[in-house]
Amino acid sequence: MTAFRPMALRARTCRRALCALAAAVPAQAQAVRQAHPTIALDERLATDAGIRLGGLVVVASAPGAPGDTLRVAAFVRRSADPSEVARAEYKIRMHLGGLQRTLGYGDRVDRFAVATGDSAATGRAIAAINAAAFGFRAHRSRDIAVETSRTFAVISRFHRAIGVITIGASAIFLLCIMLMKVEERRRDVAALRLMGISAASVARSVIIEAALVSVIGSGAGVVLGVIASRLVNAYYQQLYRTPLTFSLVTPGIVAFAVALSVVLGLAAGALAARRLVRTPPLALLGR
Amino acid sequence: MIRLLATASLLRHRARTALAVAGVAVSAAMLLDMVMLSTGMRESFRSLLERGSFQVRVGPRGAMPFDGEATVGGAAGLLDTLRAIPGVTVVAPVLGASLHAPQGEGAVAAFALGVTAGSQGDYTLQEGREASGAGEAVLNDPMLTAVRRRVGDTLSLGTGFDPQLRTFTGLRTLRIVGRVRFRYLATEQRGVALPLPTLQAMGGDARRDRLSLVMLRVDSAADVEVIRAGIEAALPRVSALSTATALQQAEQRLGYFRQLAFILGSISLVVGFLLVTTIVTVSVNERIGEIAVMRAIGVSRGHVVQQVVLEGLVLSLVGTGGGLALGLVTARWLNSILSTFPGLPEAVDFFLFQPGPAVAALGMLVLTGLAAGAVPAWRAATLPIAGTLRREAVA
Repeated sequence: MTAFRPMALRARTCRRALCALAAAVPAQAQAVRQAHPTIALDERLATDAGIRLGGLVVVASAPGAPGDTLRVAAFVRRSADPSEVARAEYKIRMHLGGLQRTLGYGDRVDRFAVATGDSAATGRAIAAINAAAFGFRAHRSRDIAVETSRTFAVISRFHRAIGVITIGASAIFLLCIMLMKVEERRRDVAALRLMGISAASVARSVIIEAALVSVIGSGAGVVLGVIASRLVNAYYQQLYRTPLTFSLVTPGIVAFAVALSVVLGLAAGALAARRLVRTPPLALLGR
Repeated sequence: MIRLLATASLLRHRARTALAVAGVAVSAAMLLDMVMLSTGMRESFRSLLERGSFQVRVGPRGAMPFDGEATVGGAAGLLDTLRAIPGVTVVAPVLGASLHAPQGEGAVAAFALGVTAGSQGDYTLQEGREASGAGEAVLNDPMLTAVRRRVGDTLSLGTGFDPQLRTFTGLRTLRIVGRVRFRYLATEQRGVALPLPTLQAMGGDARRDRLSLVMLRVDSAADVEVIRAGIEAALPRVSALSTATALQQAEQRLGYFRQLAFILGSISLVVGFLLVTTIVTVSVNERIGEIAVMRAIGVSRGHVVQQVVLEGLVLSLVGTGGGLALGLVTARWLNSILSTFPGLPEAVDFFLFQPGPAVAALGMLVLTGLAAGAVPAWRAATLPIAGTLRREAVA
């Protein structure tokens, strides 16, 4: 174990019912402040309970139990962790010894965080810990992150499935609109054909028109998407009181959306043009 | 006559009509799915909570049942207090813990429940009998598979490790007397249930006289909310949840899905409306001469309106019918994705078909189609007959 540098021995989350935060007591004197151990509080808790920096709070392991008086030294903002987003509990940070005393937890901790030099050293460290320390299990931080973000991986798959359905609906809508736009111009196209304009030129004009409609629509869609994304983030960050980014419009996503809609538009235009140029000009005129 | 003309009009442009029906079908499918999502989740949770007929759950103050490792001390006193409450007919205490079954060099971990045989509501028996004796346990299929045991075999289980002695702590050899299915565990989660005193004893000081949860069955004549509020007022160290409050808390956590369902459902309605409006408007524009002739030969405005509205209605109805089938298929697909949520009980469905809300939502889509046809229908009916005929003749 001497080969590894311990980074932090802190109980990040009090998993027992550490919930008895009684009240903030106004500090009387600087000496009193210095006498009390410190605690860092969740900023949501500070806001909700009206606790100020430097105030005193009583922390106990159960409601009504005698607790320890601590001085609020800092407010902490919860991290942008997807696995915690729907959890409303407040979090506090205490010194390890203080928390162990408050809980009657003895000389025990839930877990250690160990920093290593590089990936190879991490592998060696995990193997050494698992071989040497009976009753412990070492995991890579990355594996833990993957495990804790499984919920959001499922939501991501769900969003993709909704996206597939939406794309299907959009494709049908686009094809429908293109078909109708073309049908509206049957007489114009018939006149063009009778004047000697080739079927290929007519088809090209229809396809170009479809591409233009798609590009303009995509541009409007991108603007709408960015606005919707900002609204979504503002709403859910306020609802769940988290700095987590819920919706992200990246250049890659924009490029994919625009490319997809242009391809769909071109396909719809090509299908509509094919129908149009296959019909004889006189039939287009209703003769 | 009106039906014939509407049908003829729709059949004149078959490709366009087919596309419009397909578009409405996709919108209807999405709408149905979102209604199933928003109502299904709640009903599925309600059904899960109501299995076993326990109406109140009592756990550590400020924590949802089994939402951590929090327990309540003074279990014996707590149970006596709860049993003394008028209207409470059954008190089922539960203690949760992690157990380890030594297997060769390693160990198989499982979630364990300490319960009271006869009054428990956490599992249903598949084979054998409930564990009632001190040395007995029941296991679910994933655990039986992991430890390669069958009903009638014995199994050693410990509650933890002692790094000093390098041995399992609280180790007991238990006889497997039943195969069960746990109601609140995920499909692949390994589970063990054993008598409450056995699990408390195996846990040593950390579990002695402690409970994770107490489930209460309440007399049908008693008011569940009054009992719940009474428990919270009398016992400051516990939180009491009725089925309604538990549902509320679950909904708060899963509120995202309800909001998503509302937004996407609304978009589906708007898309359906736009599609039908566009199709019917274009159809009317194309037949403007025909409509003017009909009006000139004496067909009333009402008949013209009826014919055009009927077109929109037919598109909506046929599309909605297709959307119902499509929606059920896509709901199954989407449910299979969301059912892979880690730790989700097997019995929870996100998409649940309920005839009432489904008919209401699809009916709304049909009404939207009706409204979508109304605007172009009115425009067609109020055309200036002579002017339109002249323009059409010139064209």
